[in-house]
Amino acid sequence: MALMKREEWQDLVREVDWTFSYVDDDAVFPEWQSGTGKVPRDAWRAWEESYKISYPEYVSVQREKEASAFAVKAALQRSTVFDNLDEGWKSCAKVHFGGVSLAEYTAFIAEARMARFGLAGAWRNMAVLGALDEIRHCQLSLFFAHEFVSKDPQYDWALKAFHTNQWAIVAARALFDAMMVGGNVVDTAIQLPLVFETGFTNLQFVGLASDALASGDINFANMISSVQTDEARHAQQGGPTLELLMKHDPVRAQWIVDKMFWLSGRVFAVLTGPAMDYYTPLYHRRQSYKEFMHEWIISQFIRTLQDYGLKKPWYWDEFIDGLDVWHHSLHLGIWFWRPTVWWKPQAGMSKAERQWLNAKYPKWEEIYGPIWDQIIANANTGDIEVTLPECLPWLCNTCHLPQCTHTALHDGKYRVRDFALTHDNYTYHFCSKVCRQIWWEDRDMLHVKTLGERLLAGDIQPPDFAGLLKYMALTPDVVGDDAYNYKWAEDYR
Amino acid sequence: MSEPHFIAINAKFGYDFVMHVVVITSADTMAEVAQKVAHHSVGKRIRPEPRDMVVYYEGRAVAAHTTVIEAGIRPLQHVFVDYA
Repeated sequence: MALMKREEWQDLVREVDWTFSYVDDDAVFPEWQSGTGKVPRDAWRAWEESYKISYPEYVSVQREKEASAFAVKAALQRSTVFDNLDEGWKSCAKVHFGGVSLAEYTAFIAEARMARFGLAGAWRNMAVLGALDEIRHCQLSLFFAHEFVSKDPQYDWALKAFHTNQWAIVAARALFDAMMVGGNVVDTAIQLPLVFETGFTNLQFVGLASDALASGDINFANMISSVQTDEARHAQQGGPTLELLMKHDPVRAQWIVDKMFWLSGRVFAVLTGPAMDYYTPLYHRRQSYKEFMHEWIISQFIRTLQDYGLKKPWYWDEFIDGLDVWHHSLHLGIWFWRPTVWWKPQAGMSKAERQWLNAKYPKWEEIYGPIWDQIIANANTGDIEVTLPECLPWLCNTCHLPQCTHTALHDGKYRVRDFALTHDNYTYHFCSKVCRQIWWEDRDMLHVKTLGERLLAGDIQPPDFAGLLKYMALTPDVVGDDAYNYKWAEDYR
Repeated sequence: MSEPHFIAINAKFGYDFVMHVVVITSADTMAEVAQKVAHHSVGKRIRPEPRDMVVYYEGRAVAAHTTVIEAGIRPLQHVFVDYA
């Protein structure tokens, strides 16, 4: 049977819509889910994706990708590749598996909501494919990690992490819920496909695949490349949505982009920063996290702002300044609080690695050198107990990460400062002015208690460090420890 | 005079890189508060020094013999401690 050419029928099917005869449009697309706001309902007809694909084409491409990803996995299953991987790289993979696998499932919910409540037929069709993508990403990540569970129980956190109250997961969940689930679908389309996927993960996945290959983890590189190609397609839902919002409500568009870029940057700093500048073996590092951010994330974000007529966020200088400090502080925190994570943080503090850090970050030695020197002295005297935590760091009420953001003082020195806000007789604490500002603007939607607040409210029992580990579901076989058993400290003897 | 009660504060020592949750009592003197805050930093990430410590609350140094209640330190407030 002769088939019609795609261009002969696609315009007809990519934008299927109809006029409701027995319900109001508001009942089908309620404002709290669809979120048209100031954008006239009819304006959504102009929504158009730049890269068009039909369902049969989608199935055909995805089938090939699946076959290829699983063929490589099967071929490598009996090899000794895993046994020879560097412990630092394994930590990168464990952070990714735990922090991302089920976030992909949350992204499925976001896509499914856009597929149902999106205000244009073409958008809903794109979102259906996006939803199928995200299910696939979740399943791929879980399946690839599962292979290693018998060798190392920390890989089990690919599935477990988002079912716990581990502190980094509380932070990630607060972000992803706000980004993907909590708001209406217009906000979601800008927050997830545009800011997070186009702005951060799409580019990060390219870099991560390359790092994985350099570290010899062909399996991981194969998986992440397969995921990235999907992201590149469904991420384009953000553009047309932002275009319409800029035309009818630019103030709302600017706020959503500004807020989500900052919050994504905070979580990126804790998940990707240490992986690039500390966990990746020195001989495999091609660029620093700061260089990566400038080359890939910042330049692309600036182009996006220009393309859509947005202004630079009000916090721009502070964000750029943060590329020198955020992830170093967070890495130090993760390493010191290592029993509270599901991977083995590599200190990354041999003399050669420190030299590299100083070359890449001129302020590093002044800010972090004295602190690491004390830790090194303790490690070298065998006093490991004093290199371990006894209490909780204070966590920011907005990003839920430790209050450890250095900012420049008047004398040019960098110090961590408290940014507090008393509201309704309760004092909230923030890592930065920006997190405080976001909390104030969105305070009616931000209700996740920090772990510190839960401890003080009596939710964590016993109210000590052991109770905290139990609350975070970190069992003795999984708690993190130094990746190299403190051997790196011997450099300083 | 009421019984001493526990107060959780947001505290940081000197050039340390992070704020901590520290529990003090309303009857603690500033010298005791300084020790409780220093416990989580000095010798762990901050080099110990043979110098007195000072507690700063709301931007002002508070005398070592002053108690928490006298200084007016309330729950969840920020306290900074450093070498004198």
